[in-house]
Amino acid sequence: MGPILTPIVIVGALGLVLGLVLAIAARVFAVKVNEKAEKIRECLPGANCGGCGYSGCDGYAAALADGRTDKTGLCSPGGHEVAQKVADVLGVEAGYARQMTAVVLCQGNSHNVKTKINYVGASSCKMATQLFGGPKNCTYGCLGFGDCVKACPYEAIFICGGIARIDPGKCKACRKCMSVCPRGLIELYPVNEKHTIVFCKNGDKGSDTRKACLQGCLACTRCVRICKNDAITITDNHAHIDSEKCTGCGACIPECPAGAINHLHL
Amino acid sequence: MTKELLAVLLTAILTQNFILCRFLGICPFLGVSKKFDTAIGMSVAVILVMVLATAVCYPINQYVLVPKDLEYLQTIVFILVIASLVQLVEIILRKYLKSLYNALGIYLPLITTNCAVLGVVLLNIGNNYNFITSIVNSLGGGVGFMIAMIMFSGVRERLETSDIPRFLRGLPITLIAAALTSCSFLGFSGIVDNIFR
Amino acid sequence: MEKNKALSHEFTKGLLKENPVFRLVLGTCPTLATSTSVASAIGMGIAVTIVLTCSNIVISALRRVIPDKVRIPAYIVIIASFVTVIQMLVKAFVPALDVSLGVYLPLIVVNCIILGRAEAFASKNPVLASALDGLGMGIGFIFALACMSTIREVLGSGTFLAGIKDLLQVFGEVDFNGFTIPWLSEHPMTIFVLAPGGFFVFGCMIALANRVAERSGRKCAELNGCGSCPMAASCRMTGEEGRK
Repeated sequence: MGPILTPIVIVGALGLVLGLVLAIAARVFAVKVNEKAEKIRECLPGANCGGCGYSGCDGYAAALADGRTDKTGLCSPGGHEVAQKVADVLGVEAGYARQMTAVVLCQGNSHNVKTKINYVGASSCKMATQLFGGPKNCTYGCLGFGDCVKACPYEAIFICGGIARIDPGKCKACRKCMSVCPRGLIELYPVNEKHTIVFCKNGDKGSDTRKACLQGCLACTRCVRICKNDAITITDNHAHIDSEKCTGCGACIPECPAGAINHLHL
Repeated sequence: MTKELLAVLLTAILTQNFILCRFLGICPFLGVSKKFDTAIGMSVAVILVMVLATAVCYPINQYVLVPKDLEYLQTIVFILVIASLVQLVEIILRKYLKSLYNALGIYLPLITTNCAVLGVVLLNIGNNYNFITSIVNSLGGGVGFMIAMIMFSGVRERLETSDIPRFLRGLPITLIAAALTSCSFLGFSGIVDNIFR
Repeated sequence: MEKNKALSHEFTKGLLKENPVFRLVLGTCPTLATSTSVASAIGMGIAVTIVLTCSNIVISALRRVIPDKVRIPAYIVIIASFVTVIQMLVKAFVPALDVSLGVYLPLIVVNCIILGRAEAFASKNPVLASALDGLGMGIGFIFALACMSTIREVLGSGTFLAGIKDLLQVFGEVDFNGFTIPWLSEHPMTIFVLAPGGFFVFGCMIALANRVAERSGRKCAELNGCGSCPMAASCRMTGEEGRK
């Protein structure tokens, strides 16, 4: 074979072999894609927040399509609209989407908590908390540098009086802010159900908490005793109200000496 | 022999680091090193493809191209082989190792046009390495890639929160940070030669 | 008239406004690696320009023939063929350049500028426009490389245009072999020709380009990771990362 024909044959043969191998591989190793899952996936918002309890939107779509779950209302960013769409694809009745909102569990605003150092470093909660536990007296409360504000894709969070506040009307419960808060102060609560919340996560003893913040939970157990539904427990030196058991009677609100318990402000 | 291989490995990882000394694979270095977990995913995929590509390209060069005096076809043949290899790896991973595919799958298409992979294959041939040395060199290159990516992702996470002059924000400061990271790798130059002399 | 204007725009946009290196941040690897001396940078730039123009012409001519599914492999093969041709030409006529560029010459195949322009421009536009786009982008690339390499060579080794003789030899015998800068050549800042200097100068150049761009009211060059990447269309990461 001549000097021209040889390379042509070799490259041609190589291309053919590689093409054939790929074609055969694509056929042999083909993975069946569930069409229903694809359709459901298109209905979901694609925020991949994991709020439904599955590994992102793909995971939830697959679980719905395989029949591992029949709850169509698990997607809180999507709300009722998405639940309806998903139900249409599956041909079932739409489940009730429990609309959630994120809440910052701290009342340590500039009136309640004094600052101990004049912090001039980078404007970030993550950085500030590494320096002597942050500039404020309370080392458990909101720092107010707004890491969560930056993380929120829906502009639902704002800083007011030195602490972060979340607008339940804008919040889609995507949990992005929960993962950036270095203090773990943000939690999800259902919006439209009446119940009470302890707005404090201070883990110090009551006397120390009292010195740090005017509205901090002292873990005095008065609320635990007054609650008729056993919804309140004390862990880590602060009270916690189980939102499943709480009926929203509000008996604990006036009972709290510090004023740390309240309804969800709408 | 072992000593020689160790020297090749360390040279590829430290003194001749693919990203910071040879400038191969800068695009993924700048694009994917934003977060620690993406940096790891990308570099594991690169190590995998680098070693596989060397293992496949070496025999093709040795037993097909060299005997027929067709070395000038190396570039075109190797890029073809790498492109199909990446596709093949993707197909097989999707079928049998679903979790690995979920972790690495998104980086695989990017690797076809990663100059580090083609670069390592060409360098092996340019240096006249034998099969085992070639594999070791590719492994070293991949691990060096990984070290640089992981180190740099840490640097970048710090950069996110710092206060940077306006025109340096984003890409320019990233490149200057890369210059400093690369400086640290200059410190290794000469070490490997002296250890194994 | 209108048509001529559009065509000249395709040519000029690559020079400054959409300079592939400073504005689109494409082809970073060869930019950093070959800008240690002006001569090798210009050699690299010319090689890339030729490959870019030729491959743009061929891909644009074949844009209706190549099936959409296999377009990336097809582009790569076309580009690789031209790179092989260039490799042979350089080896035959400018062997010194082949030595100084080393492995980066065959690596033009995976240069993002070429694949990026093929995907973004040549696959959608007629032949003449694609050719002009390729030529403009190539000259923009040469310009960027020349800027970078001038800074690095002057500061790093105290010379300017050293080794240009090997390039000019193609046109006949020449005596000119660059300048030596008096004080700097005795006290060169070697770090500039080493790897860190490459990153540093590149960073400063992009900062400068950003400043100029902002003065004239354009957006700063951003590292969006995926926007300018030629693989964006076939990559699933664009869905998640691209939106950020």
